[in-house]
Amino acid sequence: MSEVKQKPVPRPAPESAPYWAAARERRLSLPKCEDCEGNWFPPSRTCPHCLSARVTFADVSGRGKVYSFVTFHRVYHPGFEGDVPYVVALIELEEGPRLLSNVIGVAPEDVRCEMPVEVVFEDVGEATIPKFRPRAA
Amino acid sequence: MNIADLSASVESARELRDYCSIAGTATSRLGRVPGVSSLDLLVEAIRNAVDDAGLKASDIDGVICRGPDESYSHHQMVAERLGINASFSTTLTNGGASQILAIAIATMAIRFGLAKTIVCGFGRDTWSRTHATEEARVRNETRPASQRPREFGPEYGYFGATAAHALGATRHMHLYGTTRNDFGAIATSFREHALRNPDAQIKKPLSMEDYYAGRMIVAPFGMFDCSLRSDAAGAVIVTRSDRARDMRRPPVLIKGFGTHNNTRGWFNDDNMVVTAARQSGEAAYRMAGLGPSDVDTAQIYDCFTYMVLTQLEDYGFCKKGEGGAFVSSGALRLGGALPCNTSGGQLSEAHAEGMLQIVEGVRQMRHLYPAERQVKNAEIALISGHGGNQVCHSTLILGKA
Repeated sequence: MSEVKQKPVPRPAPESAPYWAAARERRLSLPKCEDCEGNWFPPSRTCPHCLSARVTFADVSGRGKVYSFVTFHRVYHPGFEGDVPYVVALIELEEGPRLLSNVIGVAPEDVRCEMPVEVVFEDVGEATIPKFRPRAA
Repeated sequence: MNIADLSASVESARELRDYCSIAGTATSRLGRVPGVSSLDLLVEAIRNAVDDAGLKASDIDGVICRGPDESYSHHQMVAERLGINASFSTTLTNGGASQILAIAIATMAIRFGLAKTIVCGFGRDTWSRTHATEEARVRNETRPASQRPREFGPEYGYFGATAAHALGATRHMHLYGTTRNDFGAIATSFREHALRNPDAQIKKPLSMEDYYAGRMIVAPFGMFDCSLRSDAAGAVIVTRSDRARDMRRPPVLIKGFGTHNNTRGWFNDDNMVVTAARQSGEAAYRMAGLGPSDVDTAQIYDCFTYMVLTQLEDYGFCKKGEGGAFVSSGALRLGGALPCNTSGGQLSEAHAEGMLQIVEGVRQMRHLYPAERQVKNAEIALISGHGGNQVCHSTLILGKA
């Protein structure tokens, strides 16, 4: 049973491997276009702003705010049995792109839209996962 | 769009207005129908719809249906079971927006001579599948394993459509002061309609106290904000309006349709608070030559309570941000300003990805219901379809012939 109760780890698509490799080094790194300098998430090999294929990864500040959030009460996966209620939020980074994560270090009832947050890295098995905690504005 | 392009598109859309009608419609058995596959449920609904129109299977020369996610070339299997060759036959993959899209494509195909009489339908066996084992029940997942996300979700404990739509609800509550009370008004209104519908999956009354007592699933959504897991199918027969007039039932005119897809994604722009209903509705209104004030009843894709509220705003039934006050006024009830989901909707009748909304819209336009189910003097029905990872949208406007 202990195996079943493990949390899922990311199984990266080839185009998102650099994102997860950076997270392993405790850096938040997003795709960036070398032609138009646009950035986006999730990773892909063509710039969705200008269709350039000259795509690289660049570190971002790790600062952002909660665009929206939900609180899971239902256990959809046994790995989260001990975690409910927990918050999943859509984080809007200062650099623009939005990504899903958990907001930790705060009670679910105290999470708000627009709350300033910063990235923290959590090791889960072989993977390192970016999560977010409140920060002073 | 520039003025010349817009007027050209308005002109070609007008050419399609009223060109086709719905000549027959029906559902399968609804709710818990163990031991019957999604394909057989759909064939059951089609058989009933063909009969409703007073036709034979051999009169059908087109099939457009959204297949269940796990099946390939589903339309072929449908036509095979109907025992027909079809001059026009295909499967759509726009999720809950597929069913109206099917009617739009059918209308265009008939207009340009590719087929004469097309059946559109969808069936699913979701109750049976999500109750097959304890694991399936807990996971509550309708997608096959191959289509579930492998990263940027599961590692955060983010699963399922409930959470995705709840993110939109939270944002709407933040921006406009919308409350769970407003969501509860939607759930209780539709439940009241389901109690008048003998075919509805759920027969139990729902009060606001019951709504709040429902266990939380993914806040702000509790169990009564979530649509049903159903075994259910529905079908409609589309044909030229002059042909439909000679059939068994009063034909219902296809006055307008439109589609739009926020394919940049639910998480991007303001898509989770302003849905593609705005543009898909505008296109349908334009084709029909109508506006929101002409609509007598709305059948809105209600995968979750919040989605009704935001789509009603996006269709212009009230201003953006005023959906909470609108739904809490009692407007959505039979006898209200805009009777909505009058058969109970996916929240209380059964969930067939928007197909049953179409069936109900057609039935309201036929005026064959007993008085307690009929929207009085209704001449125009607006129907919405929404799906495909929250980005695809379609709108259908039907009219009494």
